[in-house]
Amino acid sequence: MTQGLFDAFYLPPDVERDADTSVQRFGPPHDAIELRLATVSPASIETWVEAIRSARAEHLARRPAAEIHRVLERVAQRFLDPQSPVRRNAIAWLAHSGRFSTPMIERALTDTFGPLSAGGVSRWVASEVGSATALDHPTPDRKGIPRQAFGPEWMLQIYAGNVPGLPVWPFYSALAMKSALFAKASSQEPVLAPLLARTIAEEDRGLGACIAVVWWKGGTIELDRAAVRRAPAVLAFGGENSTMSIARETHPEAKIVIHGSKVSVAYISRASLTRPGLGSLAARAAFDVALYDQQGCLSPHAFYVERGGDVGPAAFASALGGALETLRDGLPRREPEASQAARVQLYRAQAHFEEATGSRGTQVLASSEGTDWTLVYEDGARFEPTPAYRTVRVHAVDGVQEVEAALAPAARFIEAIGLEAKGRERVALAAALAAMGVPRIAPLGALQSPSLVGTHGGLHRLLPFLRWTTVETGPRSSAVRRPHRPKRKSGRSR
Amino acid sequence: MTAHEIPGTDPTRKMEADLVRFISEAGWEEAQTRRAEAAFSDLAIRSFRIQCDTIPEYGAYARHIGRWSGRSGDWREIPPVPCSAFKEHGLSAARAGDGAAVRGEAPASPAVTFETSGTTITRPGRVQLKSTRLYETSLLKSFARHLLPDGARLKIIIFGPTRAESPHSSLWFMADRVAGRLCDAPIWIVEHGEPRWERADAELARSRDDRVPVLLLGTTLLLRAYVERCDRRGLRFALPPGSRAMDTGGAKGTRVELLRNDIAASFHSVLGIPPTHLVNEYGMAEMGSQFYEDTLLAAHERRPARAGFVIPPWVRTRVLDPETMLDLPEGRPGLLVHYDLANLDVPLAIQTEDVGAVAGNRLTLEGRLREAERRGCSLPFEQFLERERGARADPAPGMPR
Repeated sequence: MTQGLFDAFYLPPDVERDADTSVQRFGPPHDAIELRLATVSPASIETWVEAIRSARAEHLARRPAAEIHRVLERVAQRFLDPQSPVRRNAIAWLAHSGRFSTPMIERALTDTFGPLSAGGVSRWVASEVGSATALDHPTPDRKGIPRQAFGPEWMLQIYAGNVPGLPVWPFYSALAMKSALFAKASSQEPVLAPLLARTIAEEDRGLGACIAVVWWKGGTIELDRAAVRRAPAVLAFGGENSTMSIARETHPEAKIVIHGSKVSVAYISRASLTRPGLGSLAARAAFDVALYDQQGCLSPHAFYVERGGDVGPAAFASALGGALETLRDGLPRREPEASQAARVQLYRAQAHFEEATGSRGTQVLASSEGTDWTLVYEDGARFEPTPAYRTVRVHAVDGVQEVEAALAPAARFIEAIGLEAKGRERVALAAALAAMGVPRIAPLGALQSPSLVGTHGGLHRLLPFLRWTTVETGPRSSAVRRPHRPKRKSGRSR
Repeated sequence: MTAHEIPGTDPTRKMEADLVRFISEAGWEEAQTRRAEAAFSDLAIRSFRIQCDTIPEYGAYARHIGRWSGRSGDWREIPPVPCSAFKEHGLSAARAGDGAAVRGEAPASPAVTFETSGTTITRPGRVQLKSTRLYETSLLKSFARHLLPDGARLKIIIFGPTRAESPHSSLWFMADRVAGRLCDAPIWIVEHGEPRWERADAELARSRDDRVPVLLLGTTLLLRAYVERCDRRGLRFALPPGSRAMDTGGAKGTRVELLRNDIAASFHSVLGIPPTHLVNEYGMAEMGSQFYEDTLLAAHERRPARAGFVIPPWVRTRVLDPETMLDLPEGRPGLLVHYDLANLDVPLAIQTEDVGAVAGNRLTLEGRLREAERRGCSLPFEQFLERERGARADPAPGMPR
């Protein structure tokens, strides 16, 4: 199935006929895959954008949104069904592209497409827009005021490849709000976006005509510019440098959402540290660390653990180490590149150095072999991202104030806090952590499963791109004030 | 009572004298011989033992990871210190005087303090040296061999600041010593943090007109910026034969992906310096020794250049499997650990995060992982630091080192 070439682009059939392609090798030399890519130029970008715009006018703009959502839900189901060739093909190619182990890829597809199937798209749209029909015609909102939502005519989306499945929800968001989609795939993960486009086109040719997925080397200025310059909406994932240059090039009226680089952390209250609960707590914490090998913004890099519980922070650290060791087989890691492993080794050596010379009670726990996992335990809170690939710090702390102080300078780099606490204590701790402006607070073990109806980077997934028309009906009386105009007989508003 | 506690002797200075002699006398082609290996091992272990006493944190680290004595007599047993450890710990014999290691104590007047550029996992650190004798012995011998194999005494144009303006940079210290000891009439192009390109224009024009060859030394970034500026303005200097350049840094840790061939081509077309006379250097503040390409030496010896950097005979570089930390067979790339006899006031064994391969006395670096492609929403440490530092500019253009 994964023999030969992978078509790492998708263009609507009419356009594809005229596109030039070339074959490139991606990935490390010993493990490269061959990808067929569309040759991208400023002129071709213009042609493709034109094509998806006119297809949108024909196939998307006047079509009932609910119908589009049903198509998208059927596609999600195909990626979920273990017997479906679509899912099997996706798993095979994602595994072949080499960034994550097969169990991790299966997990990613299930977590990503699960919430989109069986009415999921409709529920998502309803949660943000009120109802699907509000995308078709003015529809009374909760207060009874008729409003219609318009997605942008087309969207430019720029994906990152750090986590498998990352393109899916953005991809769906564009089509769900009847926007055509021009997507730039990531060279780290060039597989899923074109596969998704092709599957949508198979399911519904009209929708497929409104999508283009291509790749070009990031930072190719004339191509970035050609794509960004006229985009009415841009959704981009990436590091500081790349996203800054995108932001500079966008049209002043464009709606832009950029997800920059972030990490997550976790907080465990003393009341949660019970002897009977320790195994399960450590297993959930380890799962959050291990899933996607800390490549995503929802991966915890530090655990702040309160002293004074039934079991102490050191015992938690030890249990977490055990749970990470279990996941070496349970949820295997892909071996990092040499330079990444070298960083982990340097980090370990540094921790051993602190263990020998420091005053923070540092202790290093690590996998019996290789760099599979590393845990550094120390007294007191501080915050620094680790080199990832299952490298974490566990900090013994006295309370949330200590953590607030340590995180405050870095709060803008934190996407989520995994919080382990119950009842009123949880409410109080969540309030303290929320006050730092961290976008998401979630239970441990669920850090990597954000809600589709929640936010990313503190922003909803559809609302930032929508424009609204509100049909106002009243008031009809003298409440309408027109100080600079002579009174009319009729109080009708314009 | 050990030898270095006998009153009236200073084991460190005796060691330094022995090391200086070894470096001065070391033959470039002898490193592989059994005799040279035994001599290296002997000095390294003696030096390591002294460092365990004079650098208390290093001694504690060596004891902690269980390789304190070096009894086996093999230099490979010497525990390398992570280069990140220079961050918070002085990690220098110059810091703690007699080894009392009182944290926060004023340093015992180090001769120089270099700031490191930091690793991808840590903030910048400090390298303090009581004496620069070993550093200079290593530097001048290596530099003379790889940049001045013809024995030329050239005018030097330094694309960087003076040592007075940048007192904590090992690179500009190095330039200062090269200028003072091996060259004539030094000119510095960077002043108050600003490149004064017109100064370079004038010097290069003079060199061209007087037919007097020059030596250019600087960071790859700054030299390249100058060459690009000349190119944009249509400036060309056909520098006289014998002119040469040493550049350092380049692809390492910088955002710009610098392609060696492009750089060499632009130096040739704009400055008239042929690729044989462009020598790349690899060094770090934590090491007293540097590594050079042998392009110019090869041209002088009328043979083709060999790939990679030359490992000086007083340095050993181990290449470890980054997963197992076991030595890799020759030629296979892995994590680099350097053992540098020019390091006495700071640990001689340094674990880096660089990846490269060694064949014979040649070191090839695999550039830092290219992060040009968007890395997604996960925050890499470099970027965390970059943003944490905010808009604070580098003290000098190019790479701090």
